[in-house]
Amino acid sequence: MIVEMPDTATAEISRKIDALHEERGEAALGRVLTLLISTSEEELEEALETANAASREHPCRVIAIVTDGSDAGEHSKLDAQVRFGADAGAGEIVVLKPFDGLKRHLDTLVIPLLVPDAPVVAWWPSKAPEDPSKDPIGKMARSRITDAIRSANPDASFTALRAHWSCHDIDMSWTRLTVWRAMLASMLDQPPHLPITSVRVQGQSHYIPLDLLAAWLAVRLDVPVTIERSDDLNAITGVFFERENGVLSMERPYEDQATICQPGESQQDVAMPMRTLEECLSEEMRRLDPDEVYAEVITKGWGMVDHE
Amino acid sequence: MGTSGNEQYSAQRSTAADQQTASAWSNPLRDPRDLRMPRVAGPCSLVIFGVTGDLAKKKLLPAVYDLANRGLLPAGFGLIGFGRRQWDNEEFANFAKENMKAHCRTPFNEKTWEHLHDGMRFVTGTFDDSEAFTRLSDTVSELDRDRGTRGNHAFYMSVPPRDFPLVSKQLADSGLSHSTEGAWRRVIIEKPFGHDLASAKELDRVVSEVFEPDSVFRIDHYLGKETVQNLLALRFANTMFEPVWNANYVSHVQITMAEDIGIGGRAGYYDGIGAARDVIQNHLIQLMALTAMEEPVSFSAGDLTAEKRKVLSAVRLPKNLAEHTARGQYSAGWQGSDKVLGYLDEKGISRDSTTETYAAIRLDVDTRRWAGVPFYLRTGKRLGKRVTEIAVAFKPAPHLPFETTATRELGANAVVIRVQPDEGVTIRFGAKVPGTAMEVRDVSMDFSYGRSFTEASPEAYERLILDVLLGDPPLFPTTEEVNLSWNILDPIEDYWSTLGQPQPYRAGTWGPAQADEMLARDGNHWRMP
Repeated sequence: MIVEMPDTATAEISRKIDALHEERGEAALGRVLTLLISTSEEELEEALETANAASREHPCRVIAIVTDGSDAGEHSKLDAQVRFGADAGAGEIVVLKPFDGLKRHLDTLVIPLLVPDAPVVAWWPSKAPEDPSKDPIGKMARSRITDAIRSANPDASFTALRAHWSCHDIDMSWTRLTVWRAMLASMLDQPPHLPITSVRVQGQSHYIPLDLLAAWLAVRLDVPVTIERSDDLNAITGVFFERENGVLSMERPYEDQATICQPGESQQDVAMPMRTLEECLSEEMRRLDPDEVYAEVITKGWGMVDHE
Repeated sequence: MGTSGNEQYSAQRSTAADQQTASAWSNPLRDPRDLRMPRVAGPCSLVIFGVTGDLAKKKLLPAVYDLANRGLLPAGFGLIGFGRRQWDNEEFANFAKENMKAHCRTPFNEKTWEHLHDGMRFVTGTFDDSEAFTRLSDTVSELDRDRGTRGNHAFYMSVPPRDFPLVSKQLADSGLSHSTEGAWRRVIIEKPFGHDLASAKELDRVVSEVFEPDSVFRIDHYLGKETVQNLLALRFANTMFEPVWNANYVSHVQITMAEDIGIGGRAGYYDGIGAARDVIQNHLIQLMALTAMEEPVSFSAGDLTAEKRKVLSAVRLPKNLAEHTARGQYSAGWQGSDKVLGYLDEKGISRDSTTETYAAIRLDVDTRRWAGVPFYLRTGKRLGKRVTEIAVAFKPAPHLPFETTATRELGANAVVIRVQPDEGVTIRFGAKVPGTAMEVRDVSMDFSYGRSFTEASPEAYERLILDVLLGDPPLFPTTEEVNLSWNILDPIEDYWSTLGQPQPYRAGTWGPAQADEMLARDGNHWRMP
C-alpha cells in the first residue's frame, strides 16, 4: 500500500503512520532501527528495493530523503509517501521529497520521524558527502554507510572518504570483501603453515575492494603485496600467496565459482557467488559497532600498497 | 584433578588440534576484533549413518545445504551417506537434493548444489556387514585424495542407540575411528544417552573405547547452542533480572515442553522409554540447570559445565513421589481440528502399554538462592500446542495499597522465556484498567528475537554441525551431567514402574488431572502457554 501525501507536514506523516499501524493491528514498537537513505529520484526505487529485502532480516523504519528537488525558491514544500505492507518489506517506508528552504535543514526534518530509542543508520547508495560525519543526516547516525564504487568517480570519492574518515563510517567496498577474507583465512588455516614471502592480488581496474583487500593482506601479513589490474577482469579474480614450497592461490575467474590451488594437492572448487547489494546492506545493519579492522586497513594498510 | 579440569583440558585440546598447537602457529589473517568474518570449516567430510531417516531428511541434509549456501563449508567438503538402500552416488544425490530443496532455510541455488553434489558419495551396507565398512573406508580415502578432505571426518550417528555399540565397533575395526597425524575424526551421537544411569554409563564406555573423549559430540537438538547462549545473555548481561532471581522474590518456576504431535512412526523407540526419559532427563533438566545455576566464571564449556553440575548435584527429589509427580497417556480425541488416535491405538503399541506420554515432576534445589522454590517440569505429547518455555513466577507484592476489589484480577508477575516457537521473552505485570474505577489487571510486555534482530537464528542443526566441523567445544551435556540427570530421574522411574497404567488425558488438552492436582497441593497452577 502506498499513500501519497503531497504538500504535507511531518506531524501529518507521523499521524498517518500511527493510524495505519492501528488500522492494521501492528505494533510500531518492533522496529529495531531507523535507516535513513539519502538518494535521488532516479535511484530511489532500487534503493528501496534493497532496503526492503534487508528489512526482512531486520525490521526497521526506512526514511528515504530524495534530495534532488529544486532548492532555489523561497518557500518550503514537502511531498511525502508512506508505504506499508507488501510495498515496504518488514517495516514501513517514508519517502520525503523536500523542496527549497526545507532542504537546508534535513536533520530537523527527519527527527520527528525517527524510531524512538533505536539506533539510526545512514546509507548513501551512490553519491556520498565528502565528510559523512559532518553531513546533517550523517551526524545523527550511529553508523554511516557509503558506497564509493557506485558513485560517479569512485577513486576521488574514496580518497575524500578516507581523508575524513571517522570510526562510525564504513564503505561497502569493505563489506564486499567479507567472503573473500573468510575464504582466504580458512585457506591459511590448513597445514603446512609456511611463512608467506609475498602476495599478488588480481582484479578489475579502479575497483576499490581490490585495493582494500591488498591493504588488508599487507597489514595482516606484513609482506610486500602487489596489485595486478586489468580492464578485462570483473571484480576480484585471484589472490596468490608466495611460499617456499610454491604458490598457494585462490582464483575466481568467473562469477559463482572459486578454485583453490596448492602445490602437491588436487585443485579444489568452491561455490562463491558474488555478493549482492542486499547482502552487503544486511551485513552492515547487523553490526553497528565501529569496525577496528577496517580502520586499520584504511589508515595503516592503505599506504603499504601501490594504488596506481 | 576433577572432571571439570579434564573437561576444560579436552575443550582446549580439540580447538588446538585444529590449528596444530595454537601457540606455535596462529593464522595472521585472523583477528579477534574482526567480528565480520564468518568462521568457515576446514576441509573435511561428514558421514551420516541412517541417512534415509526422518532426521536426516528434514534436518541434517537441509542444514548441510544451508551451511554451504551461507559459504561456511570448505572447498574440500564431502558428504557420505551410509544406508541399506542399493543406491549409487547419483541416486543418493537426487534423494539429498529433493530433501534439501524441500526443507532448506536459505534460497535454493543450483551452483551451491553442484558443488555439494561433486562431493557426495553413497555406501550401501548394513551395520553388521564389515565389508561395507571397508568400502566406507575406501570412499573416505578417495575423498581425501580427490576432494582434499585431508583425513578429517565426522561421523553422524543418526541411528537408534542400540546400534551405537555395533557401529562404533565397526568403525574401530575398519580403522575409521583413528585419526592420522594432524587430522581429526569426530563422532556425533544424539540423545537419548541411555535409558537409565547404568545404560548411560555403558554407552559412554562403548563410545569412549573407540573415540577419544574430546572427539565425542553429544547432541541434544532440542537444546541448540543458540538457545543456551540466549538464556545466558538474558540472565548475565542484564541488571534487572539478577536481583530478583532468587527465593526472596520467586515463588516457583515452570518449565514446559509440550508437543502437539503423537508418537508418529517412532513407536519402536518410544514405547518403554516414555516422556520423562525422552525429554525431562536431557532437555528440561538442562533448561532447569541453566535457569537455576550461579554465574559461571566464563562462558567456556568447562566453566559452564562446572556451574551446571553444581546446581544439578543440589537437586532434591520430593519426599512423596505420589504427590509431586504425575504421568499420563493420551487417549483418542481431537487435536485442534484433527481427529487423532489414543496412544494405545497407535500402530506398534501394545494395548496394555504403561509407557507415559505425559510426565510432570517437582524438583527442589537445595541452595541458598533457591530454598523453598519448587521447579515444576512437565512434558507431553498431543498437548494443546507445540511450545517450550521457562516461566519464572514471582511472589505477590508484600503489601497492596488498594481495595481488594481493585486487585481481584491481578495474577502473579512472571518472566516467561519462550524457547520455541517465536523465541523471546514475555514479562507479565499488573496495570490499571483505563476508566474511573481503580482496577488492576495483568498485561504483557513482549520481546521476540524474530522481530528485533538482524539475523534470523540459524537452525539448531546448522550451528551444531558447524561447531562439530570447526571442533568448537559444544555446550551440550557432558557425561557427568548426563549421569547426574539420570540420578535425578532414576528413582522417579523406579517408583512409576510400580504403578501400572498412567492416567489417560484427552488428546489436545493440557495433560491429566493428576498434574493439576500436583500443583494445586502447593497452591499453584499451571500456566497456559
